[in-house]
Amino acid sequence: MTDVKATIRQFILATYLPGESPANLRDDMPLRTSGVLDSLATLGLVSFVEREFGIELDAYETGVESFDRIDDIVALVERKRAAQ
Amino acid sequence: MDLTDEQRRLQESAIAFARQALNYDVVAADAAEEFNRDAWRQCAEFGVLGMPIPQEFGGLGLGLSSLLAVMEGLGYGTRDQGLLFSLNAHLWTNSIPILMYGSEAQRRTYLPGLCNGSLIGANAASEPDAGSDIFSLRTRAVRDGDAYVLNGTKMFVTNAPVADLIVAYATIDPALGPTGITAFIIERATAGVIVGRKLHKMGLRTSPMAEVIFENCRVPAGQRLGREGRGVEVFECSMEWERGCILASCLGVMRRQLEECIRHARERKQFGRPIGKNQSVANRIVDMKVRIETCRSLVYRIGTLKERNQEAMLDAAMAKLHVSQCFVQSGLDAIQIYGGYGYMTEQQVERDLRDAVGSSLYSGTSEIQRNIIARALGL
Repeated sequence: MTDVKATIRQFILATYLPGESPANLRDDMPLRTSGVLDSLATLGLVSFVEREFGIELDAYETGVESFDRIDDIVALVERKRAAQ
Repeated sequence: MDLTDEQRRLQESAIAFARQALNYDVVAADAAEEFNRDAWRQCAEFGVLGMPIPQEFGGLGLGLSSLLAVMEGLGYGTRDQGLLFSLNAHLWTNSIPILMYGSEAQRRTYLPGLCNGSLIGANAASEPDAGSDIFSLRTRAVRDGDAYVLNGTKMFVTNAPVADLIVAYATIDPALGPTGITAFIIERATAGVIVGRKLHKMGLRTSPMAEVIFENCRVPAGQRLGREGRGVEVFECSMEWERGCILASCLGVMRRQLEECIRHARERKQFGRPIGKNQSVANRIVDMKVRIETCRSLVYRIGTLKERNQEAMLDAAMAKLHVSQCFVQSGLDAIQIYGGYGYMTEQQVERDLRDAVGSSLYSGTSEIQRNIIARALGL
């Protein structure tokens, strides 16, 4: 079974935080509201999550309440997969 | 970058067409800020509007490199840069998003008309308080049954006074930020679409521009372009195409400027000899030549990347930044080489500079292009 958290962390580090120590990317860090992810990066992450995990997210599922911290994104993915 | 024989033939055909059909009294048209509908129609008949669109939707299905060659030819052959600017806006921010993100029904409904000239397209994204920070737009789209109701004001809408079809961007909820932005295809005749005051510009005056106001504008849900909340993706797609391609015609203008400046430098005599014998004049012309060659490589690389279905966002930003800077500088150099005559509207040299300045602003300012490049470099 795919490790959802590890996959998402690896994508964020490789794509948006090249050279950054993985230890500095906390799972409870607000990625968007802290400025780690700008508008385009957020959309890129949404597209990656949909593609990688075979799910479709509607607009209200990608707001900061459910799509800002890695922990929240993982929970969203697992919820969507369980519902399929 | 060398053109293939076919691309060269297409470019020469575009030059011949532009010289024959698109060289009316542009000085007067520029002064009157007059859009030439007959010229638009002739461009449609020539096939310009359908170049990147597949034949099944009424287009020519040309590859992007061939399209760039044609646009360069048009830039070389016509002096009406405003017309070409309107053509570019129509192609990259209206036709292409519909082709790439439209449903089959939307593509079959609109692409044929956009290709044959019966529909003129416009793009409504910028707002009075959302220019470079485009994703902070406030035009609101509220779902109401089988429709969305749009309210808001759009600024700097090229082609708005003459458009039949508008690709517009609105947010379904400002709290969602960029993931709330949604794209729509809106017919001009839709109740609640108000084309506001015409905007008067420094250059590109034959390309009409106005504000567009959406006032309780009810848009059927079937007119949504792409998924709800994915408007940023649609917008970025159109910007990638526009940034890479809109400056192809500028290559043609710069080539024409260079040739005219060389001719002038050989013919104009001061102190008993051609002014081109003065290093200060010759050096300017040399710099114009070098700039054109660097620009050509950047622009045609976009075509190569897109034809291979490769990402071109970084290259498009680099092309936009560099070519626009070179375009403005070439305009300044041309005026300096022509001296006092370069300052007179009758010679048409000064208009090239006025038209060129806009290139550092539209499709994202030079500052925004630098931000894009910096981000791509991991900074």
